[in-house]
Amino acid sequence: MAERSQPSANYRSWPVITALTIVSLPLLLMYVYLFLDTVTVKQADALLPSGLTLNHWRFLWQTTAGKANIWQVTLNTLLFSACTTSLVLIVSSMAGYVLSRLNVPARGFFLAGVMVLHAFPSVTLIIAIFIVLQMVGLYNSLIGVILVKAAIDLPLGIWLMKGFYDTVPWEIEMAGVVDGASRFRVWRSLVLPQVKPGIMALGLFSFLAGWGEFILPQVLAPGNQVQVLSVYLAGFLADDNNYDFNMFKAVGLFYLIPVLIAYALFNKYLMNIYGGGSKG
Amino acid sequence: MKSSRTLGLVMIAPAAVMIILFFLMPVVLTAVFSMTNMTTATGISGGVYQIAPNSLIALKSAMPEIAAEMAEPRYTIDEAGLTAVEGLGMAPGIVAELRAKHTGEVFPARRDVERMIKDLADRPSTREVKQISEQFNRSVLNTRFDSREQLFSALDSLGFKLTPEQQEIVAKTTYTGWTWTTENFSRMASSPDMARVLFNTVLYVALVLTLFNVGYALLLAIWTHYMPPMPASIFRGIWLLPRITPVVIYVLLWKWLAWDSGFISILMGKFGYLPKNYLLDTAYNAWFFVVLINGFIGASMGMLVFSSAMKAIPKSQFYASEVDGASRWQQIRYIILPQMRWPILFVTCYQTLSLLASFNEILLATNGGPGNATEVWALAAYHTALRNYAGNLEYGLGAAMALVLVVIGVTLSLLYLRVFNYGTLVAKPLIED
Repeated sequence: MAERSQPSANYRSWPVITALTIVSLPLLLMYVYLFLDTVTVKQADALLPSGLTLNHWRFLWQTTAGKANIWQVTLNTLLFSACTTSLVLIVSSMAGYVLSRLNVPARGFFLAGVMVLHAFPSVTLIIAIFIVLQMVGLYNSLIGVILVKAAIDLPLGIWLMKGFYDTVPWEIEMAGVVDGASRFRVWRSLVLPQVKPGIMALGLFSFLAGWGEFILPQVLAPGNQVQVLSVYLAGFLADDNNYDFNMFKAVGLFYLIPVLIAYALFNKYLMNIYGGGSKG
Repeated sequence: MKSSRTLGLVMIAPAAVMIILFFLMPVVLTAVFSMTNMTTATGISGGVYQIAPNSLIALKSAMPEIAAEMAEPRYTIDEAGLTAVEGLGMAPGIVAELRAKHTGEVFPARRDVERMIKDLADRPSTREVKQISEQFNRSVLNTRFDSREQLFSALDSLGFKLTPEQQEIVAKTTYTGWTWTTENFSRMASSPDMARVLFNTVLYVALVLTLFNVGYALLLAIWTHYMPPMPASIFRGIWLLPRITPVVIYVLLWKWLAWDSGFISILMGKFGYLPKNYLLDTAYNAWFFVVLINGFIGASMGMLVFSSAMKAIPKSQFYASEVDGASRWQQIRYIILPQMRWPILFVTCYQTLSLLASFNEILLATNGGPGNATEVWALAAYHTALRNYAGNLEYGLGAAMALVLVVIGVTLSLLYLRVFNYGTLVAKPLIED
């Protein structure tokens, strides 16, 4: 949020700040302890830590029996989000341009369809795709999940890119066309650079969405070889035998750090999208 | 690329292909699967014919005698059995006599075949009689037949003479694959469990939507609107954390807060309360946490939409009202809220659909428990089709449940497109060649 002057200086803001602090307390507590618990020792019934340790991070250098290797899993997650992101970016930056500038048959229908598709419950896709992947034997492969995840993100991506293209002044294109460039050339060399903020925003959003995705990999690719971090962590959570909150939190923090960094660096891009709304 | 139309078609093709293959096709397939009784037991490809104990039970009501006969082993003197007897290394006369005199005979019970074997010229011992008779045991029970023809030729060779009507019934009860049916929908309409799930869903959407996605989001937006920029952006950042945090970590944090070894338990322990699992001990607590968990995520979108809408209200309106001596409450009541009508409507519409479709958080936090207290429709569909305790995944029924969500989602979003005046969204493109 950029500079915003107060609408009114006549009121004291500390009562509101206090109230807001109180309702924000659960969140603050959770995130502070998320960090704290991963590097400290705490007695079972104590609220405050009694010493420092790195023991909770042991999953980084030793693999728990029956679980996948953390680095393999991280690599899978990275691969999964990177592939999804590139696919969404390429496909929606093309489709968005068409819907914004070119007259194709059934354009209005396509746009309405994009809006309606966004409302489709993902559980539908999961059940049907699970059955289909089982039929064709592609179950437990990363490619299937990447394609499905990209398809789910596409409607929002197309809609968003269309919005960004709509703001590009058409004189730019006119100049290009008059100078004799093809429409494709105009799009690639003149229009695309104009929507860089949009590409940036969509890329980040898509990467974070892929990074955090849980249910699709859980159902379509749960195997150790293709596991992603969310499934890995959920596997820890489901394992009742050795419940170790501190280690789970260390895994969680390890998983969260890239997200926090991306958010801290680029939050002004992301606001555009979270305001327009992902699911949830 | 001469015309923009060709270029348009080429550039939109990848999106169209992906959406059709991985978005529309699954939806269509969901509709198809919802008309079948596909389960783990029937498999997802074609089935086989098998006279299993449960198909015999089904058969008993229609044809008791035949069912009883099928349950018993039959003994047929055939070439395969004779060869097997030869391999047992008994007196060669036994096999020769069996082959010469009894080939092709069918004995309905073990007693009969053993009497026949005992009467052979070589007089086998009782132990040998058992060994020999075992080689001719041709029970149809639990053998798999790939086609209807194989099933009936096997039955025929064992002396079951069936009329075409009887064949029809036998084929139907012994087929293990899935068949077309509309039973899923009647089951959904009549089951009390489904009514309960439906009630849960309505309650869940209504509570989260009014309390958090709209109510609390509006409160947050107004509060931060009146704050100096620094604390305002800090609080907005805090309330965006749940949205950017991957759902598994986010739910882990809530579990840490609410579980029997978690924060609340430890805190209450200082006041002498026994630790307990606050997340799952009663249905009310579970609901309380489910609403909080989802609400904390949902509040952020409303907050962003409302904040930017409030920023768009001209400052002069606030200054003018202050000159006129308006209190802060009056400013909210007469300046902010009237101008928030469209954003509120938009967030309500949008979030209704999101909430109907979302189930990740509930799945991870309570998994629908305790009992079925927090099972919502999307989660129930997931449980039915992909993960249930009985182990027999009912793909058909799950697909039918998912289809209900699709129908609701499409209907609502078409309605919303109307409300938000879809025509303005698809204005004419800027340049035409």
